[in-house]
Amino acid sequence: MKYFAKKIITLIMTLFVVSVAAFVAFQIIPGDVVTSILGTEATPEREVQLRAQLGLDRPPIERYVNWITDVLKGDLGVSYRYSKNMNEMMPVAELIGDKLPVTLWLAAVSLGIIIVVSIPLGVLWARSRSRVADALFSVCTQVTMAVPSFFLGILVTYLFGIILKLFAPGGYVSYKEDFAGFLGYLLFPAISIALPKVAMTARFLRNSMLTEMKSDYVRTAYSKGCTDRRVMYAHVLRNALMPVVTFLGMIIAEIVAGSIVVEQVFGLPGVGRLLISSISTRDFPVVEILILYITFVVIFVYFLVDILYRVIDPRISNR
Amino acid sequence: MIRIEDLTVAFGETEAVKHVNLELKPGEILGVVGESGSGKSVTALTLMGLISEEARITTGRILFDDVVLAEAGRPKDKALYRKYQGDRMSMIFQEPMTSLNPTWKVGRQVEETLRLHRDLSKEERRRQVLDAFTAVGLRDVEKVYGSYPHELSGGMRQRVMIAMAVILHPGLIVADEPTTALDVTIQNQIIELLRKINSEQKNTMLFITHDLNLARRICQRIAVMKDGRVVETGPTEEIFETPREAYTRRLIQAVPSRIKKTRKTENAVSPDKADNILEVRDLNVYYREGGNSLFAGKRKHCVVENATFDIKVGEILGLVGESGCGKTSLSKAILRMNKNIQGSIVCREPYPQMIFQDPYSSLNPVKTVGWLLKEPLRALGRLDPSREMTEADMEAAAYDMLRKVGMEESYFHRRPSQLSGGQRQRISIGQALITRPRLVIADEPVSALDVTMQAQIMELMLELQEELKLSYLFISHDINVIYRMSDRIMVMQRGRIVEIGDTEGVFRNPGQEYTKLLLKES
Repeated sequence: MKYFAKKIITLIMTLFVVSVAAFVAFQIIPGDVVTSILGTEATPEREVQLRAQLGLDRPPIERYVNWITDVLKGDLGVSYRYSKNMNEMMPVAELIGDKLPVTLWLAAVSLGIIIVVSIPLGVLWARSRSRVADALFSVCTQVTMAVPSFFLGILVTYLFGIILKLFAPGGYVSYKEDFAGFLGYLLFPAISIALPKVAMTARFLRNSMLTEMKSDYVRTAYSKGCTDRRVMYAHVLRNALMPVVTFLGMIIAEIVAGSIVVEQVFGLPGVGRLLISSISTRDFPVVEILILYITFVVIFVYFLVDILYRVIDPRISNR
Repeated sequence: MIRIEDLTVAFGETEAVKHVNLELKPGEILGVVGESGSGKSVTALTLMGLISEEARITTGRILFDDVVLAEAGRPKDKALYRKYQGDRMSMIFQEPMTSLNPTWKVGRQVEETLRLHRDLSKEERRRQVLDAFTAVGLRDVEKVYGSYPHELSGGMRQRVMIAMAVILHPGLIVADEPTTALDVTIQNQIIELLRKINSEQKNTMLFITHDLNLARRICQRIAVMKDGRVVETGPTEEIFETPREAYTRRLIQAVPSRIKKTRKTENAVSPDKADNILEVRDLNVYYREGGNSLFAGKRKHCVVENATFDIKVGEILGLVGESGCGKTSLSKAILRMNKNIQGSIVCREPYPQMIFQDPYSSLNPVKTVGWLLKEPLRALGRLDPSREMTEADMEAAAYDMLRKVGMEESYFHRRPSQLSGGQRQRISIGQALITRPRLVIADEPVSALDVTMQAQIMELMLELQEELKLSYLFISHDINVIYRMSDRIMVMQRGRIVEIGDTEGVFRNPGQEYTKLLLKES
């Protein structure tokens, strides 16, 4: 219990520091939201009016305090840029709430592919005794790791979308309308995200297993009469997973935070795209919440990794 | 009956074992003794079918009750071996911590042997494992069954390993340095246990060790190996009384069995006159629980209690005790590496130095010997500007130190990986002495070395001590090593100094039960 309390305190402290840092950064970077909104229609009077309307005429500290109190009360504020209709501002919660499921589902599908494919692949690779198989694995993973994801995305679109016609490029279906169709559409962006990570994870697992194979306990297992297969799966795999779990944690944090490039290439209305457009338009309320979200995700995933460690390795106890 | 006939094992072009013939009669304990690199472990692993795949048998064969297990020119028959491994032949390894799977409960690990070779119900398997645990002298067997290796002590782990090896009453047990990684107090118990198992189960045992004295205590016959060959075989007492080979004689002599060092009398310290180089009074050493994290608890854990002692100028004080008794914590406190202390430490040497146990991991592998020797001088120059030296002076001092520790100048540009264990320890000693400290703490400096190496390094340390008028705090768990080195002995048990006195006196007339136990079991 003490362990969880520590973790939660750390989380809150980190979120606070990050929110201040993001706020300060927004004060420093050039560009002004008011001129950006008004564009060519800007007149000094309208600027003053809009500034007052958005509360931007207050001193920075007051603005931060107001903002954080609102957030703590559950009011995430309204977007400077997006509006629901002519008369109503767009609440940030609604804006992000709309995009979040897209990113989360994309992450879940990608992660599923990564785990399901890379672990058996890594074990198979570690077990392969022939030089040909080893070279083949090596070249394949090398290539997939090296290809940048936007290019991979274009290749996947071209191959599966235009040649094989397995999905319609640009034909995104909202999860609200047709969930199955939505998942079907996500499959290919997910493959683009997963492919390089599968290669990395498999290579990582293979190296980890080969290191573990040199351990003394492996020799003990053989001395009891275990088969190669049994030694690999029953003894080595679990020990070899430790570093892989750390690595997977990093990957998860990365893709849950939004795969900006892939969302762009496949035209997915996810969090990653929202972040890019909000930064370029100085839409502070949206950016601030997104940064907090990403921070939260990263910390939470590492927390899960920490728990998973304890499950895999009994030597790590709750300190 | 197990026969190894004309066995040669090669790794690439190098032959690790050359035309070895060994015969094990049913029920006997045969000792294979030699230094590391003599081929004893390779022989054992080949016999067990556990040798790595790069190794090839180039001549000879291995017979187990007239079944040919392995033969030159025949690929390894894994399926045949699996029927024997664990069931008819089993192995006890040196390092009980790493030889057990860290992520499995030990009960399940022992049970696996049963599951692989017998068709028994789950309850029956569990019952047999618990029985085996009782038989190897483990207490509270239910609790042990559900424990992970890291939750057990070294001695308990080795008992678990032994339970695993003997549970199916195999005809052959290969024990590869089964007590080397253990404390003296535990060593003896494990030897007794192996003897007991041998007399009850009538297994044949192949006992591998670098320690002739240990082999003498358990083996009926001994085979001495050198450079991959068996140079001498015979009944144990014959080997000891009339060794034929010069090598065997050297092994017997190398054993530091109560050979008192021969120091010139003028250098010996007269205890009343000499000044103290170190005075420790009422010292308590603590560790904070939970390390240095932000949330570390405020609770302190006391690892050394009420230590009071002196070291005189030119004296060697031997510190002996089991692992975990606080020896290392005490030395860290003296070196001011742990400042969580109470009481006083007065050290007349501003920069005392330390020699570490493991010469393999304590030297930076990417640096050259010359660089390593100069490094303490550079560090000292930064700490104390008055002792700053020019690069040329440091270079000269490093060459000088290299000669002092008995190595040729050509080693100056080598890296640690190109040195043997003994040579590395010489470099470690050189590193400690190059700043000319008057007090040196040596923490198990010979424990990772072969017996012959041990003798040489101890000799070197004594020579340097006389030449440079050093004082040592010499830490070891090996009472024979302590006897050889020390003027006075200090015995520690669970963080307390239980006895302190001059070496001969303590050995002849130990004042504490614990000291008697330590002496008896060495």
